[in-house]
Amino acid sequence: MNKVIIGVILYVGGWAVFHYGLFPMFTPREFSWVFNRYVYFLMLVFYFIAFNLILKLKPPISLNSLAVWLLGLYFYTAILFPPIPWTLLITYMMLWSIGTFLYVSQDKETFQEFRRPIVNVVTGEYKIARYIIFAALPLLVGWATYESIYPSFAEPVELRTVHPAPPATTKVHGKTYALEGLQNPFRKGEQDDYKDSFPFLDADKQEYMKYVTEGGTIFFENCHFCHGDQLNGLGMFSHVFNPTPANFIDPGTIAMLRESFLFWRVAKGGPGLPNESTPWSSAMPPWEEHLKTDEIWKVILFEYWYTGWHPRTFDDESSSVE
Amino acid sequence: MITRNNRMARQWLVLCVVALALSLPSTLWAQMRMPDPVQQDKLELGKKVYFKRCVWCHGVEGAGDGPSADRLFTRPRNFTQGTFKIRVTDSGELPLDENLIDTVKNGLPGSAMPAWGEFLSKEEIKSVVQFVKTLVQDRDFSDEDEELAVMDFGKNPWGTSEPYHLGVPEEDIAAGKEIMIKNKCFECHGGEGRGDGNPTMKDDWGFEIMAADWQQCWNFRGSRRNHYDPFNIVRAISTGLNGTPMPNFREKITVEDRWKLAAFVNSLCPRKKIDRLANKPINDFLIKSKYTVGPVTSDWNDPMWQAPEDDPRAKSRPSGYTDIEGGGDQYWHYIALAGQIVRGERNFKPKVDNLWVMSRWSEEEQAVYYLVEYHNRFLSNDPEYPEGVAIQWPGQLEELFGAEKPYFIFGDSKKPVDIWKASFLPKNYDTTNAPNPDGYDLDISITELIGNGFEDVFEKDTPGGVQIVNSKYVQGRVKIMFRRSLTTENPDKTDVQIPVKGFVPVSFMEWSGFNKEHDEYMAISTWVYTILEPPLPASLIYMPPIVGSIFFGFQMWLIWMTKRTRKMVDDKTWK
Repeated sequence: MNKVIIGVILYVGGWAVFHYGLFPMFTPREFSWVFNRYVYFLMLVFYFIAFNLILKLKPPISLNSLAVWLLGLYFYTAILFPPIPWTLLITYMMLWSIGTFLYVSQDKETFQEFRRPIVNVVTGEYKIARYIIFAALPLLVGWATYESIYPSFAEPVELRTVHPAPPATTKVHGKTYALEGLQNPFRKGEQDDYKDSFPFLDADKQEYMKYVTEGGTIFFENCHFCHGDQLNGLGMFSHVFNPTPANFIDPGTIAMLRESFLFWRVAKGGPGLPNESTPWSSAMPPWEEHLKTDEIWKVILFEYWYTGWHPRTFDDESSSVE
Repeated sequence: MITRNNRMARQWLVLCVVALALSLPSTLWAQMRMPDPVQQDKLELGKKVYFKRCVWCHGVEGAGDGPSADRLFTRPRNFTQGTFKIRVTDSGELPLDENLIDTVKNGLPGSAMPAWGEFLSKEEIKSVVQFVKTLVQDRDFSDEDEELAVMDFGKNPWGTSEPYHLGVPEEDIAAGKEIMIKNKCFECHGGEGRGDGNPTMKDDWGFEIMAADWQQCWNFRGSRRNHYDPFNIVRAISTGLNGTPMPNFREKITVEDRWKLAAFVNSLCPRKKIDRLANKPINDFLIKSKYTVGPVTSDWNDPMWQAPEDDPRAKSRPSGYTDIEGGGDQYWHYIALAGQIVRGERNFKPKVDNLWVMSRWSEEEQAVYYLVEYHNRFLSNDPEYPEGVAIQWPGQLEELFGAEKPYFIFGDSKKPVDIWKASFLPKNYDTTNAPNPDGYDLDISITELIGNGFEDVFEKDTPGGVQIVNSKYVQGRVKIMFRRSLTTENPDKTDVQIPVKGFVPVSFMEWSGFNKEHDEYMAISTWVYTILEPPLPASLIYMPPIVGSIFFGFQMWLIWMTKRTRKMVDDKTWK
């Protein structure tokens, strides 16, 4: 019995030292291979095994299983990163509990040994433990009931289509464009040839860089407030709006869209979206109100040059439709 | 091989050096050194980075005149004179390389300068800093006359830690306040630190500039993305901010006192969860209107309207904020604002970038109250450009399906919006008045507008009876309380009918008259929701004991069963 108490003290004390002392050191701001949370967890497990072996504690199976179960809980709630949603946590812990139970019920002796303290509490052989547990459990249940029926409100989740299907044609500044096969009139040359060119400095020498410079100028007069100086959707007003402004660095935005799609989205903005894309909340202006057609194309050219992405193009077959 | 004599001589030498070092005055206020010269080998990469990333704001020559410059407040830095704000060197001096690197890495919160630390490599940042140094024309980083005094800032005397730096003793904060008053910081930063002291300030280039609002420390340029660290403030007090009217106080205030002053300034800033990407507090997207048993008072000093501005997850609620009967905790909701840069006349330089909102509703009165607060350094005295703040609702809530809402700026032709606009001018107020702790009453009026698109906004023929029940402007902060009955007669179907326990879209607009804002030239929020929370259910009182008792009964049954089984096993009656 003394050994059990020593074991419990070492478990609880050791965990406290690890969690409050070491864990902050192993979760630095900048990720590194040694100082990371999983290494920390392995160290904790080694410590648990080590003190049991070194002190020859030979803990009873019930304590062992409790320690294993709690280690699993600790791993899933505190160590695993990024944190998992609670539905997933319940699934994982269910599996973990089954595993722990399999471990204790592997043969009759261990199962009986595991069962013994529980039965002893119930039948009253451990008198004080019985009073404490049987008084605490109903209180705990009452408290959980209170928590579960206390009303709480969270804003409704709204789903939206980020890249809706574009219309077949769009009318900008009095001219109707068919989006299928529509090309950027300023894409005169291969973008990758101008990777190392300088905007402004090379604008006189290279026609392509002239358009990039003009597009960038328009971007930094109008667009960066939301889409950001880094084109990553983190402009100085970006955090205000919901949906948040598009991140052009992300492979899921302009990298997978055609320039004609961008032309339509830029020209028509939020109000031009279909209902499934929540046109009422999008802060994207209908840029045809502020920019000329050519300026829209130049901004698009700039966005691809800056991010290094290439627009999706029509393959040979479909381009022959044009 | 070292001989014995040699060794002794060396020991003597070491002893002499140590003695010399100890005999120097230990309280030197600064360490003298030369600026870091330009590293020529880094310029090629630096130029490449500069002309791809920086030129758009800072300009081809580095004069802070890139394409974006005229639409930014604060304007991008002009490098030509070598004037840099955030340094560890004395006023007027050039910065160290590490200061510039930190600025590029962390950006300048509250301005358009983003943090480049996650975007560029370390080498690129080092290089672009070298290139920026070559854009300084009026001064030379290799000049012998440019000797720098690197300030001694002492150490954080309380050992407080990230992220919230809590735990500074109250007496040090109180001492800090005395130091603030003695050094007249309020002349620019205002009586309660909201930056509302001096409306006439200009920077070295003659552009308008504002004193920092201490209560919004996430906008401190030198915060290095560690917004609550008092060190940032100690640095600003010690070195001043070059190019701005902010002087240094290194001779007037001792290092120990600078830390106390910093602790005081820091204590004014509400502890909010700061979004690391936006460097702003995280928005609240649901405004909870608390249930009230009796009538709601319009006196915001009543406990009914008290809540700490700190996020309860960041700093525990101090005692004294009691739950109001049947209503639960009151809470300040943080609503971010941006300039309206979408339609019509666009506002790129809004003066107000957030609102704080609190709400209550009364079953007895069948009315809802919204208390809206925001910081605005200076108000208008011009009746042509009154100040204004408005709450916008869907005009025909019952017609909306699912997530559908009217367009967030003045609605659209199919889905109108209902706008409660308060317009006001402060009484007996002048922007240059000394700090006035009593504040100013407002000459305030309410207009109810109906919006069918941003070119089609007009006053209702049949207003729904919105009232302003309390309003005040105190030390740079506007406080306005709106009231309306939950339902109205609504003959023209223009008033929002507010249901209990339903999610209702709501958004906010703000016009800074001092900034000549009017109509669509304003600041806006996005759609958020509000909900009139129902009273706490009675089951909360009787259910927990019932379930607990049932569980207790189950335990008794378990004991009885176990004992019976054991007895049967002992009696061998168990088969």
